[in-house]
Amino acid sequence: MSLSRFMRSELVKVAPVVSKLVGPCASRCVSTSRPSPGAVAQQSGKPDWNRAVSEAEKIVGYPTSFLSLRWVLSDEIANVALHLRKLVGSNHPLLKTAKNLIYNGKNNMQAWGLIVLLVSKAAGHSPEIPDMEQDKAAGVLHSQRALAEVTEMIRTSHLVHKGLVNMNTRSLQVSAAEPDDMMFGNKIALLSGDYLLANSCSELANLRNQELVELMSSAVRDLAEAEFMGVRDEQNNPLPSRPLPEGERETAEEWDNILDPLPMKGILGAARREWSARHVLAAGALLGKSCSAALKLAGHPPPLQTTGYLFGCHLALAWQAFLDLEAFSGPEPARFSLVGAPLAFTLQARPELYEHIDKGTRNHNNVDYHALYMAVKEGDGIEKTKQLQREHIAAASDVLEKFPNCDARTALSNIIVAMNGDHLC
Amino acid sequence: MACLSPSRICARVQDKLLCHFGHKVQVRRQTVFVKLKPPGPSPLRIFGKTCQRVTTCGPACGSAGGAPSPPRRAASSLQSTSTGSLPDYGTQIVDPYRLLEDDLTGIYEDIRSELERNTNQSELNTIATYYFDGQGKALRPMVAILMARAINYHVYGENSAILPSQRQVAMISEMIHSASLIHDDVIDQSDFRRGKPSVNVLWNHKKVAMAGDFILAVASMMIARLRSDDVTLVLSQVVTDLVQGEFMQLGSKETENERFAHYLTKTYRKTASLIANSVKAVALLSGADEATSELCFQYGRNLGLSFQLVDDLLDFVSSAQAMGKPTAADLKLGLATAPVLFACEKYPELNPMIMRRFQEAGDVEKAFELVHKSRGLEQTRFLARKHGMEAARLAAELADSPYQKGLVVTTDLVLNRIK
Repeated sequence: MSLSRFMRSELVKVAPVVSKLVGPCASRCVSTSRPSPGAVAQQSGKPDWNRAVSEAEKIVGYPTSFLSLRWVLSDEIANVALHLRKLVGSNHPLLKTAKNLIYNGKNNMQAWGLIVLLVSKAAGHSPEIPDMEQDKAAGVLHSQRALAEVTEMIRTSHLVHKGLVNMNTRSLQVSAAEPDDMMFGNKIALLSGDYLLANSCSELANLRNQELVELMSSAVRDLAEAEFMGVRDEQNNPLPSRPLPEGERETAEEWDNILDPLPMKGILGAARREWSARHVLAAGALLGKSCSAALKLAGHPPPLQTTGYLFGCHLALAWQAFLDLEAFSGPEPARFSLVGAPLAFTLQARPELYEHIDKGTRNHNNVDYHALYMAVKEGDGIEKTKQLQREHIAAASDVLEKFPNCDARTALSNIIVAMNGDHLC
Repeated sequence: MACLSPSRICARVQDKLLCHFGHKVQVRRQTVFVKLKPPGPSPLRIFGKTCQRVTTCGPACGSAGGAPSPPRRAASSLQSTSTGSLPDYGTQIVDPYRLLEDDLTGIYEDIRSELERNTNQSELNTIATYYFDGQGKALRPMVAILMARAINYHVYGENSAILPSQRQVAMISEMIHSASLIHDDVIDQSDFRRGKPSVNVLWNHKKVAMAGDFILAVASMMIARLRSDDVTLVLSQVVTDLVQGEFMQLGSKETENERFAHYLTKTYRKTASLIANSVKAVALLSGADEATSELCFQYGRNLGLSFQLVDDLLDFVSSAQAMGKPTAADLKLGLATAPVLFACEKYPELNPMIMRRFQEAGDVEKAFELVHKSRGLEQTRFLARKHGMEAARLAAELADSPYQKGLVVTTDLVLNRIK
């Protein structure tokens, strides 16, 4: 439950209550004769992300992308599509966001809803839940499916709102170029994000579980907080904080109650803590709280819900570390995340490199990416990030052990294997 | 017997009123009431006397309209016998804002501290609390609390007090409203709101958008903590309506009939839904039955429609200074509100302007002029009054209490406001 625990990657030990519950997959695993998806994923030699995900989707029913028929048919989305067309040809980032949402790459984690469903299925549910509320074929509850949809809606809404253009800048390059397009794009982006948020509100309300509403609302709050953490350029792109020497750091507080906001004491300037806190707020909290909520819906006791939270959080952090590593695995990219773990560790080791970051306070493009890239390649930042990722993977896998062996659990481990950074570089 | 019982009722009514005013006087300056009093010497004297008498009965009768103590009952019935029937000063005197002064004080502070508790990022806190400076009209929380007190009185009688959860709903309604204002500011690029620079002028637009999401998230957490499924459903409907209303504003309809229906639905979703559903929520929390909750909802809906119609009217007649924001703002945003839609009947040349959203040079000025030449403003006021009267009629169905009178007075306040 605390940041420092993430860092030491210790887990709260929870008795394996799960096996007592009638998990729908527990029975199915025995009878099923088809080869386990894990075997398929490993046959090709190199673990394949796309295969791991599409196998996983087969296990819990249909793909969980938010572009389901209901969305396409809604008036508001049709409206947005119409207006988006007017933006084609402009430079508004909303177009890029839309493209990323439609092309389901792993980079924007469209598989979050899928993870929530897999966790739901792997954990099973309490026998008291009436048949009416179950999706027997998929082995999850209808309410869990709605929750998975809410998770994706919240995530998407956040991405869309993040893709606004700040037109309130002193350096007017962006807004002067095409002010009308930018204004219009902002309008559409803001409204579409609000639309998704409003829909997640009513979907959550329909679940008639107020603890769950509170938990998921706190995840929305965390996402908003994430956009304020640390130094930012004029377009609100995050920059790392100036590294503090070890002696000057304050001790970090525990995040004991996840309904309260994440304590910020002693976080900024401490590479690893800052990286963890940033990505817990921006990603881990939502995935963790969604997994926890899925277990709550299934009637699991609070300790297991906590474990679910930790699983989601570790998985999101492992995923983030993987994305950070990816930038350094192929040919040199033009840009990479300035708040990624490899650079954070490198800056910690060589604080004099921070002068490069200082140049980006107005616009991150003014940063000498090449110099920083070379510095990361020379140092041990990549190795440390791999170590960090291994810890989070191990922590997430430990939680999986608590679930009964079944197809959903195998699918989750395949996803974890597919994002192991050791295969990268 | 037959003639005795009405007088008893009369005495009781007065008793309630006296208790209420006695409370007020104990807490506040007496001069307040001198200003609010209707002309005429006789009620004035009654008032002075009762105030003195009730004040002597001590604090017990004051708090939360507490149970009338026997000595005071004697005092008030004495009063009623000596002066005859109670003058009808209720609707003129009850100023809802003064009536609820105790409930409303600190409401903005409470909202600010709730927001502050939910973030450790100081800039987020600054932006999120910016509009909760106490300068707004606080109409939504006021109506919610007024309804809470009126409905509690209706359901439980005069010993009722306001529930903490109902006060929370009042706070939530203002928070949802502000979250939508913050997003509107980014969308419309407005410069001023409530007489000060709007958020989008002061901060990064991306951060402002996030601050809006943040306020909504904190409000949803507060809603969830009320632990009532029905209240959560009712209030989540508000958020959906707000966004749908915003989407409706993006497009315009071809024919006039369609256009007016479109406008009314949009007005309901953007303004009235919040008021209607928050008063419904306080009614649900008081344990009112379905019919009564529906009555409250309809009161809020009509009040909200009336409020927005007046708002659209004021956009044409009020000065920028009084409004704290620029006038003819709707036209400049390309929006055709009721006055324009009415004016259309007499000046069909407005139609093409509506369709092109007043984009061409001179459109705004021309439309502004035509609206003033037509009967559009008058008709808008008439429609607003119709909704106001309907709200007042619904409020009159609730049990008689100062708060119920306050609900009636509010419909007048909304109609006669100048800003």
